[in-house]
Amino acid sequence: MAVLVDITKCIGCEGCTVACKRYNQLNFKAKPRNVKDGRVELDDNRWTVIQEFQGKDKDKLRFVKKQCLHCLEPACASACFSKAIQKDKKTGAVVYYPDLCVGCRYCLVACPYSIPKYQWEEQFPQVSKCQMCSERQTNGDAPVCVAACTTGALTSGTREELLKKAHEIIDSDPRYVKHIYGEHEVGGAEWLYISDVPFEELGFKTVSDTPVTDYTKSYLSKVPGFAAAWALFLTGLAVYNHRVEKNRKANDEDEQGKEE
Amino acid sequence: MSDKISRRNFLKVVAGSGVLGFGVMATGCKGKPSGGEGWVSGQYEGKGDFPVNLKGRVAISKLNPSIERDDEKCILCGQCVDACKNVMGVYGNFPLPLKQEVACVHCGQCVMQCPSGAITEKSHVQKVLDAIDDDTKHVVVQTAPATKVSLGEEFGMPQGTSIGKKMVGALKAAGFDSVFDTCFAADLTIMEEAAEFVHRLTEKKDEIPHLTSCCPGWVKYCEYFYPELMHNLSTCKSPQNMLGATIKSFYANKVGIDPANIVNVSIMPCTAKKFEIAREELQVDDQRDMDFVLTTRELAVLLKKKGINLNNVPDEEYDSVLGESTGAGRIFGATGGVTEAAVRTAYYFATGTNPPADLLSWTPVRGMKAVKEATASIPGVGSVNIAVCHGLENARKLLDGVKANGSKWQFIEFMACPGGCIGGGGQPKAMDAIGAKQKRIEAIYKEDVVSEKRCSHDNGEIQFVYKNFFGKPLSEKAEKYLHTTFVDRHSRLFD
Repeated sequence: MAVLVDITKCIGCEGCTVACKRYNQLNFKAKPRNVKDGRVELDDNRWTVIQEFQGKDKDKLRFVKKQCLHCLEPACASACFSKAIQKDKKTGAVVYYPDLCVGCRYCLVACPYSIPKYQWEEQFPQVSKCQMCSERQTNGDAPVCVAACTTGALTSGTREELLKKAHEIIDSDPRYVKHIYGEHEVGGAEWLYISDVPFEELGFKTVSDTPVTDYTKSYLSKVPGFAAAWALFLTGLAVYNHRVEKNRKANDEDEQGKEE
Repeated sequence: MSDKISRRNFLKVVAGSGVLGFGVMATGCKGKPSGGEGWVSGQYEGKGDFPVNLKGRVAISKLNPSIERDDEKCILCGQCVDACKNVMGVYGNFPLPLKQEVACVHCGQCVMQCPSGAITEKSHVQKVLDAIDDDTKHVVVQTAPATKVSLGEEFGMPQGTSIGKKMVGALKAAGFDSVFDTCFAADLTIMEEAAEFVHRLTEKKDEIPHLTSCCPGWVKYCEYFYPELMHNLSTCKSPQNMLGATIKSFYANKVGIDPANIVNVSIMPCTAKKFEIAREELQVDDQRDMDFVLTTRELAVLLKKKGINLNNVPDEEYDSVLGESTGAGRIFGATGGVTEAAVRTAYYFATGTNPPADLLSWTPVRGMKAVKEATASIPGVGSVNIAVCHGLENARKLLDGVKANGSKWQFIEFMACPGGCIGGGGQPKAMDAIGAKQKRIEAIYKEDVVSEKRCSHDNGEIQFVYKNFFGKPLSEKAEKYLHTTFVDRHSRLFD
């Protein structure tokens, strides 16, 4: 399931952030850990935030919802060697399994949007990020933030459906920027944004269309085969050596026997 | 030897756990994903497109001077949206995308409807307590008519108990230096507004219908949505600010205190008053008319902090010279009250005699009907058609009609909150909100009946203030201190 965010429809009520905190039992009292330019950024108790932008002439008040974009080719999942972050094939959500996590935080570094955060103050810390309410989605429900949105700024559906709808909107309404953020960004994402203000002015990161995983795929994909071949080679070598040794010992014994 | 492990055994353990780990993963035992342990209410099950009556919440900017919200208490029940949209006609009535701000008229009806206490007024209690403790400051307080019939509820008294004089005692015990009556200022407002209305009726006919301007929620609503009717608004300040300006000019001069050292506090049934006092227009000679506003609920908090129980406080009288009030000033707190008071004095201004008994108990403008209509025949002026409207969604419907078909009324009273100030956003919350409003209205009209003087122009202290300071209604000095201008806010929401 994908989500389409129509930035022009958000009034900044932050109902989505409250729904997220309630559903995921995040701490309401936790002070914001990251504040940039007066805007609260994501942290371990804020899986989604609303950021306010006023526009150049202070006449375009816009609110931008920020959370994990759930990439089609998630860099965090590819960086995770213990498979604690996995792309759920059915729902498309990039899901974190704390039981598998070893706490290396490679995912924090890998993410092109700097989304995953870490519970720095916990004794047994976990990574934290939007799970796109994967369990609700399994029941056929929309993510809770989408369900809580009253103005229609958030809608959920299949990615094809929403892309079609988004294209219809930006093609028919001249106010919109002719770009769907998330359609091609680092290979595309489940979260799609449309806006009437250029995305760069709303704090969206300009990223390449190439999936992060593509840069390493060409050679990293050969690693398992190479490792297996190498292991096979070493085993063969060991077997060969073993045999040579055994034969030599047998020969030696034979020769000794003859001498006696 | 036993605590040492052979290389072979070590490799066995490592390889074994690796195989086990891989097996666990391959069979799908990866544990639960994080999150999803909490609770959201039933409205939010499903795709989010199921048509439920109430959902979501209103937007409250961090810069909002009147109200704030504690997210931890918000249960997303949607009651605030109901109040804002269906009662006040604000939510959903401005276009998206937003321009400069999210519309809010600060009425506080969302506060009244919020069942979990998440939305509250922005508290001025600590600031007022600090001012009281500051010996260099002369702290003056005024009490609005609607608070006198509701404060008792916060101290366990039955709904509709009149505690005006007890409140004076409590405020004096709390350390306020002078206690004045906003009902006095309501009389002052009526003097100005009735004079203005008669003037408009006879000379400036393009400013008819005359729209009242004592409700800050309504005024901001008009500025947002009906800027073309702004010139019809009465230029009178609200009673609160009239008294504030009078205190910092006439009173300061009279008692010889530098107005800069006066702190004006008001006890209001209203959250929009907190926005109103911050308006740039509402200052004279670089002095803010008002400094702090406490809602009825906040006053209860302040008194309880000071350990004052309203039940045990002796009655006291308001301070002179801004403390006398008439029945006309007292009924300001109920819908229709301003109209009734204004008509009484307009009648006097037009004829020179006090109005007949039926105008002193003018039932057509009383009660909770959404829009009330009445006609007053004033000799010399003719018959005046009047409408009284409360609840801004009702106002929207009425004004859309006025815009389309013109006004058949010469005078329209608007109150943002249902029932008028007695149902304001700063009032005590009641389980039985409608019953509470009825009882408060009854109490207010009872105060009118028992008062010695029923008309604003009969107020002795009003006459004194005019004689010694303002001269006469609409004089140059009155215009300076008691009248104001309005700000077109239409372009902040609309293209």
